[in-house]
Amino acid sequence: MTRKLRPYDEPPKARRSLLPTAPDSAATLFLAVAILWLVAATGIGALAQMQRAFPDLLKASLQVPLGPGITLLVTPATTTPAFVDALIFGWLSNAAFAAVCFITPRLTGTRLATDRMATFSLLAWNAAIAGGVALLYVKGASGTAALAEFPLPVKGLALVGLLGVNAVFWRTALMARGDRYISLFYFGIALLALLGLMALSTVPAVISLGATNDQVLYAFYARAVATYWVLGASLATLYYLVPRVARNPLYSGGLAWLGFVGWLGFAGLSAIGALVDPSVPYAVTSLGTAGTLWLLAPTFLAVANLLGTIRGRWSLILSTGTLSFSVVSLAFIAATPLLESVGALRSVQAWTAGTTWPMGVLVFSALGGATFAYYAFADHALPRALHRAWSESILSDVVLWATFVGTALAGFAMLAGGLVAGSLISQGAAPDEVADAIRWIQLASAAGLGLASLGALALLVNAFLMYTAAPLIELSVPSSIPTSATTSAAAGQ
Amino acid sequence: MSVHTPIETRPGLPRWAVGLTVFVLLVGGVYAASNVSGTNPPILGEPSAGASGAVSAGAALALINKVSPSCTTCHGPDLAGQATFPSLHGLQNGPTVDNLKQLAKDHPNDWMNIWIAGTDPAVSDPAMRKGMPAFGGPPNNLTPDQIETIVRYLLTLK
Repeated sequence: MTRKLRPYDEPPKARRSLLPTAPDSAATLFLAVAILWLVAATGIGALAQMQRAFPDLLKASLQVPLGPGITLLVTPATTTPAFVDALIFGWLSNAAFAAVCFITPRLTGTRLATDRMATFSLLAWNAAIAGGVALLYVKGASGTAALAEFPLPVKGLALVGLLGVNAVFWRTALMARGDRYISLFYFGIALLALLGLMALSTVPAVISLGATNDQVLYAFYARAVATYWVLGASLATLYYLVPRVARNPLYSGGLAWLGFVGWLGFAGLSAIGALVDPSVPYAVTSLGTAGTLWLLAPTFLAVANLLGTIRGRWSLILSTGTLSFSVVSLAFIAATPLLESVGALRSVQAWTAGTTWPMGVLVFSALGGATFAYYAFADHALPRALHRAWSESILSDVVLWATFVGTALAGFAMLAGGLVAGSLISQGAAPDEVADAIRWIQLASAAGLGLASLGALALLVNAFLMYTAAPLIELSVPSSIPTSATTSAAAGQ
Repeated sequence: MSVHTPIETRPGLPRWAVGLTVFVLLVGGVYAASNVSGTNPPILGEPSAGASGAVSAGAALALINKVSPSCTTCHGPDLAGQATFPSLHGLQNGPTVDNLKQLAKDHPNDWMNIWIAGTDPAVSDPAMRKGMPAFGGPPNNLTPDQIETIVRYLLTLK
């Protein structure tokens, strides 16, 4: 007997939860938050450069009636560190955490340990960074050391989040059996380094070392964050993505290990080069500067290894996708240590100190090399995490070209501005003359960061369209094309 | 969860990689060996992010040491005060000397900026300044941006 199904008999329609279900929920959440941070960071960066070009027009001071002496300042002195912190700790760190949560289970063949811990870490880390960036605008509430401005409670909360991510990674990585791939080693060292460095940055708030020693410590910390965390996590991500997407074996295991060992040693040595003070022996600083030069070798080896992995698949980089993002990232990663090496030389350092040159190098490193690595990661991971395809719109092209042109324009403008300012200062020009001379260059860098912001916005819209409107798909993990007998199936050997 | 498929890796190490590594090590070694003796300048900021010259403590310290006379000449090496010159620590809650109380009352947001610049008629009287140079004027000509950098640094001194 058949019975007509009444409306109330119909089974409930499947509802999509706001948050994707495990196992990739943590990676998706980290990535979504990271993209929001990128939009904010590039927007703040463009504002900071505009303020530098027109300091009198775009300076805001606001007295907040919350209590005595609470003043909000929106000046280059507050927006510039906000840009750097939002970029490094907001965008790049969240994207790197997403990569850790997405890649580690796939390389170890196990589920991510403690999804809840990852989500808790996300909350703690982002609450800390958002609070820290907001406090930068409150007069007298933050310090002034680069990347270490946040007050102690904020750093403490960030450390809690970082401990959580470390716990998730190490529990997952140590559960794996057999050989471990090179990406896991980069991730492991980068995560431990960031944890240790963040803890180190809290020392001056707890123990009085003296003003100069504090600054020396902070200089080491800021440089090490760039070499260990920003560079290390980017290379870990690219080492996973490029062979996967090119469907080729990694070009050389020996090259990967030589590069890793070199990076491990020289990244720390390079940070010693930032200790430029009479209290530090001259020879020690020189050794650190040599470390920055030596860092060229492992970086070039990693870039060459990954480019070699694409052999026979070059046509893939002609269309916008994971591999084209990766190649742009590798180009910026290769250019960065060259610029850093030149800038680390004492004669150049004396010329460019206090100018926009170091910020130009930072833009190449963070907004170029690392950002495109995580663009590649987002392009690869989001369809697999959300089981949805990217839309066929031009948004992916906008992401690629707006960010590429914007980053190159901003980076070159800041480098040029640094050289011009250094030249004028050495000739005894007054600050106003220097400011007038580089105003157009600063406008160009503001335009570049504005373009990068447009690229970030396009990525946000594209990801939103994917989540809301794209058809469901199922992607399998690609297996490598059979290669010669010399190929080792055990990754990382 | 996707099926676990390891990423394959070709064994071996290309010779050019060894050559490149040795070459870079040699260049760095020569640089380090030829820069053994000397004295570093005062810390000037962090290479990775002290870019603007106006955001880092290094940049502030560089300005503090660069202006003539240096802030430390009068206020002491740690800016903690010496002789009749007051300490620059603990300014978060306002000035610690009487001659600046009215200025802080009139300009609670930027009294330090005005005082350091010294170009405002309200604080340009030499008797009131008690020997404090007007750093916004010649010969230092600090810009408002540079003064803001110094102010932000001073506000961190507890």
